[in-house]
Amino acid sequence: MSEAALSAGGKRRIAASDLAIPAAICIIAALPFFFTSSYWLSVLTLCALNVVLALGLNLILGYAGQLNLGYSAFYGIGAYAATLLIKLAGFEYWLALLCGGLAAGIAGVGLAMFAVRLKGHYLGIASLGFALVTYEILMNWVSLTQGPLGIYGVLPPPPIDIPGLVRITFVGSRSFFYLVAAVALVVYVLLNNLVRSPIGDNLRAIREDEVSAASLGINTAAWKIFAFGIGSMIAGIAGCLYASFVGTLVPDAFFITESFTLLAMVIVGGLASMPGAVAGAILLTVLPEALRSIGDLRLVIFGLAMTLVVLFMPGGLMQAWDTLRARRLRGPA
Amino acid sequence: MTQPILKGDRLSKRFGGVQAVQEVSLSVAEGEIFAIIGPNGAGKSTLLNLLSGTLQPDSGRLALRGTELIGLPSYRRARLGLARTFQKIRLFKQLSVLENVLVGFHRQHRIPAWQYVLSGAHRRTDMARCRAEALSLLEFVGLSDQAQIRAGALAYGQQRMLEIARALATRPELFLLDEPAAGLNPAAVEFFVERLLELQRRGITLVVVEHNMDLVMSIAHNVLVIDHGQPLFAGTPKEVQANPAVISAYLGGELA
Repeated sequence: MSEAALSAGGKRRIAASDLAIPAAICIIAALPFFFTSSYWLSVLTLCALNVVLALGLNLILGYAGQLNLGYSAFYGIGAYAATLLIKLAGFEYWLALLCGGLAAGIAGVGLAMFAVRLKGHYLGIASLGFALVTYEILMNWVSLTQGPLGIYGVLPPPPIDIPGLVRITFVGSRSFFYLVAAVALVVYVLLNNLVRSPIGDNLRAIREDEVSAASLGINTAAWKIFAFGIGSMIAGIAGCLYASFVGTLVPDAFFITESFTLLAMVIVGGLASMPGAVAGAILLTVLPEALRSIGDLRLVIFGLAMTLVVLFMPGGLMQAWDTLRARRLRGPA
Repeated sequence: MTQPILKGDRLSKRFGGVQAVQEVSLSVAEGEIFAIIGPNGAGKSTLLNLLSGTLQPDSGRLALRGTELIGLPSYRRARLGLARTFQKIRLFKQLSVLENVLVGFHRQHRIPAWQYVLSGAHRRTDMARCRAEALSLLEFVGLSDQAQIRAGALAYGQQRMLEIARALATRPELFLLDEPAAGLNPAAVEFFVERLLELQRRGITLVVVEHNMDLVMSIAHNVLVIDHGQPLFAGTPKEVQANPAVISAYLGGELA
């Protein structure tokens, strides 16, 4: 909370939160040296991808309070748009990444413009419907998307040359993890500033009470469309990174179950909490992998853990963390 | 006579078979305290919702300083200088008391676009300025000690005062209050009346829907009485108190 570190004269003191970003960079840099196998490196990359997605969904669901059950659609639109632009139109990778994000963002704005008058469950159903329609289009527009056969041989991003210094390649799984983690960090910093700005106050006000937000002069429809657009754009960028990470693209990766997994990450982490979205995404990516050895029983444990969170910690991991910290400050009871 | 700040002409609103407001006209003068009274279910809150834009009328005209308001949604009316509170309190419950007021400042920020996503000097000074102004508004309504607590955790009367502070953050010229004294204890009512008179001294025009007759009679300059959605009488508090039709509506026909 950098605003809290503001002293009366307008000068800033160094707060613990100012060290969060350097600390995060150090952790990201160190992680691949602890998890060296290509299996764990790909789990790490998936973690970073899911962090990006959870942050984007948290803007729509946690901050603006709009129930979006079709987030996987925007993920898929970004992945297919970017990949097809590279394969069919010969776009350069980084330009395609941007266009994939824009395509998903435009789709999000489009859905929001129609759905903006819907609330709660109705918006949930509309967005779920949108995700199903998108999935069916990806499956059946075979001439463009190859349908269920999928698109193979999606290439990794081209190397970046920094003249006279280094050549950054994205072939190894370690460098790809660094790429996705860097994107996650940038998305985190930008969104974190956004939600702490007056725009974040507007979005949370709309979540709490639309009628009184409007009575204060807030154009609620426009801000909901804004949240949908930005959140969907983030999903689109993640989709493009996913395509080049996996190398193949099939519609099943963007089925609605993916929406629910992402929803679970945001809820388990704690709605409207930036660190919560990160924690939820990492936990729900690593946990299924760690429990893989016990076979299908892991699904039971997974489901049970989710139920317990919703029942006893509706504020998610961040609520648990705050409770623990408050207890430590008060000393042992 | 000066031009009225708010002028409504034959406003009507029907909900299914119920004519909630029927052909109500009103004229609010600049700087006055204007009261709307009437028995339960008379259509007072509906009328206020028509004025604020929360509801649109079926027919009639409404102008704020000559600007036509019909068809404008409530957020557009708020930008013209119209603020309101709600009969059934509508705070942003999960936000802190201070944040509730800060939301009201959202039209007054002067931050370059890029500083919304990156930190910067303009952003810091702008947010510090709004914070200071919000705190002074909280002081005005007697809530400066509660700035950091969750709005939903405030006592009932404090929630009413917070709604007032939040609305004042938009710097209104015309302030509509829907039963602001309902549920307040006598000491709180006294504080509230004093604050209301202070706002009027600062030049804000006040329209108050109120049930508490003593309060209305002591502060209002002009009163509009409505019953069954229809205008019954309009005049000064003295004239209202002397009017047989008003007495009959309030005390029951057989006593008049």
